[in-house]
Amino acid sequence: MSIFLLLFIDNATAYSSHSSSADTTKHTNNWAVLVCTSRFWFNYRHMANTLSLYRTVKRLGIPDERIILMLADDMACNARNKYPAQVFNNENHRLNLYGDNVEVDYRGYEVTVENFLRVLTGRHETAVPRSKRLLSDEGSHILLYMTGHGGDEFLKFQDSEELQSHDLADAVKQMKEKRRFKELLIMVDTCQAATLFNQLHSPGVLAIGSSMKGENSYSHHLDSDVGVSVVDRFTFYTLAFFERLNMYANASLSSLFTSYDPKTMMSTAYYRTDLYHRRLDEVPVTNFFGSLKMMIERTLIDSDVQDPTSHIKTKDQNCPFTRTMNTFFEKVERIEHPDSLVNYGLILMLPLLMVSVWLSS
Amino acid sequence: MLDRCTMDLHCYSHFLVHSLLKELKGNLIIFFAVWFLSLQILLVLLLIRATGHTLQMAYRQSLNSLDIVDLLKSSDSLSSGDVAALVYLWNPFTIAACVGLSTSPVENLVVILALHGACKGLVPLAAFGWVMATHLSLYPAILIIPVILLLGYGPDTPPRKLFLQKGYGKNGDNHSSDNCGQQETNHSKAEVTFSWRPVIHFLFWSSLWSTYVLVLCSISVKPHGSLWEMFQRTYGFILTVEDMSPNIGVLWYFFAEVFDFFRSFFMIVFHLNILFMILPLAIRLKHRPCFLAFIYIAISSMLKSYPSVGDSALYLGLLGLFLDELADMQFSFFLLCGYIGVSLLSPVMHNLWIWRGTGNANFYYATGMAYACLQIILVVESVSAVLNHDRKLRKLSVTKLRDGNS
Repeated sequence: MSIFLLLFIDNATAYSSHSSSADTTKHTNNWAVLVCTSRFWFNYRHMANTLSLYRTVKRLGIPDERIILMLADDMACNARNKYPAQVFNNENHRLNLYGDNVEVDYRGYEVTVENFLRVLTGRHETAVPRSKRLLSDEGSHILLYMTGHGGDEFLKFQDSEELQSHDLADAVKQMKEKRRFKELLIMVDTCQAATLFNQLHSPGVLAIGSSMKGENSYSHHLDSDVGVSVVDRFTFYTLAFFERLNMYANASLSSLFTSYDPKTMMSTAYYRTDLYHRRLDEVPVTNFFGSLKMMIERTLIDSDVQDPTSHIKTKDQNCPFTRTMNTFFEKVERIEHPDSLVNYGLILMLPLLMVSVWLSS
Repeated sequence: MLDRCTMDLHCYSHFLVHSLLKELKGNLIIFFAVWFLSLQILLVLLLIRATGHTLQMAYRQSLNSLDIVDLLKSSDSLSSGDVAALVYLWNPFTIAACVGLSTSPVENLVVILALHGACKGLVPLAAFGWVMATHLSLYPAILIIPVILLLGYGPDTPPRKLFLQKGYGKNGDNHSSDNCGQQETNHSKAEVTFSWRPVIHFLFWSSLWSTYVLVLCSISVKPHGSLWEMFQRTYGFILTVEDMSPNIGVLWYFFAEVFDFFRSFFMIVFHLNILFMILPLAIRLKHRPCFLAFIYIAISSMLKSYPSVGDSALYLGLLGLFLDELADMQFSFFLLCGYIGVSLLSPVMHNLWIWRGTGNANFYYATGMAYACLQIILVVESVSAVLNHDRKLRKLSVTKLRDGNS
């Protein structure tokens, strides 16, 4: 559940009315839309990409109510999966991504271009349940992650249809008109990914793609046990960045974007910041990938500790036993290195034993 | 026998040196652990030897006072202390416990310390051993009864009635030499009484050592929690049997399938299983406190909540101390074959169940149950052998008296 943050700095820049109104709204919640568009067993890695990001985003605090997970095929319960109900993103199999707690909102053939655009724009039929709707408001930060097969200005859905870059740009423009987001981060991991957001014009949108026009995005490694490649390079390095973080980290987006090395990735991660009016090194990654946190001022712990003991003291001053016990406990609490003292005590036990035996015999 | 024993100790120390050189190349922590455990085993050996010697001296003394020395003709060549030490050293269970880096050798060491101190009459040593053994694992707390009996009465002797009979017999004969008779009855009466002074000393020293240990524990535990929490997590864990991983005991299978409603009832039943045997055995075997300690250790290592082969190693070693009494034990060959068979089959069944997946829990639990049966047979047969031995001694002393009178 989200806890509301009261840290908002007014940007006093002169932009269009839209942007100024967007600047004055508070950041209220974070949403994530994670889309895997490929079907078939040999596209295992796209599923693993999406599930890895799902796990990261949940770990950093976004709850299932605010995540829309769209998986075009079922790899965990696929007949060709040697490890049923398990999806791995690394050949060491350390992490089972398909654990106890995965909620898939759009599965299998429900993942179509039409449904994707309906999710983004919010134009659903009346019977669609709340869990399948993107119920963001004008204070939301949305993370949109898409992975699959793509090309020059398109993304392939289900091996049968395409989402084109102008469709995506139109949908984002509609979202902006309807005030469905405050800031939007689009992450795309496909071949020639950067071309997908060529046509975007709406302000408040930040986009990063795994490769530029004419480049392919490659998978990271093949798991010879499962039999297919299990993760893509861009997502692998993104996860490597996030595994070092927890909910309270404040790494910035610029550190994330600059952590991609074109040599190891074998493609150039290209990001577009002209529509985004904040400086990247001021934006923490948890603005998109995590949940909001409340800052609680904690008073010094010393005052807490002293009060109970003084309370006890005033009560049982009469009994000498409790008095000695209290003084003993106070002395014990003031010891700086209890472990070394205990070690000395243990070593002292042996000569004490020998002396006592010698004395008694 | 002595040469053989020292030769074996030499061999063992050579092995330690070789292991030192080998382990230096490997992991340093494991090297220190193996060395430390081997040291414990060496100390246990020395203590078992010493206890054995004390017991044999006491046995010979008591037989002398009963004038039945001819029983000793068979036991001259074997020194029970050396045999027990060798049995403990070369027991595969001891070696397995040491190699597996378990802390059983340390627990065995403090139990043997307590018994040795009680046999020799060294009250602080006995108190230290008992307090540390109870602290490390809860079950040696029942050893307080044999330790108190050892301190009060002295080491194992035949039943007191025999000494009394001898005293009365002598009195009946020699009316003329009243002084002698009086002295002898006084002497025999003094053997029967229970001296309370060592026991009071023992209680005092054990309270001292336990306060010391508790103070150290509370200092060490302060940053992380309270002393009560420490007791909950150590003694409470042992008593409430929270973890049901398979082991060679009999509790895990049962508690994995018992309904929650009856769980506390059966927990009490299993723990009472050990406790209710304490009093009858203490009444029946109060003249043989060392043997009583061996029986308590055997019962507790069979019925405790998380047994291991290190516990079995201890009582199998102590078994060797009572060679004279247990010479006529029935089923000894069956027990030996049974132990070898179970110790070979049990890891195989475990592997079949857990690693290969071709067996199931019943395979492994069957070996566990067979192991418990063997231990029960061992306990029952050894107690009956000791009681038979006592009956034989009584018959012999009675015939000697009749021969002496007539």
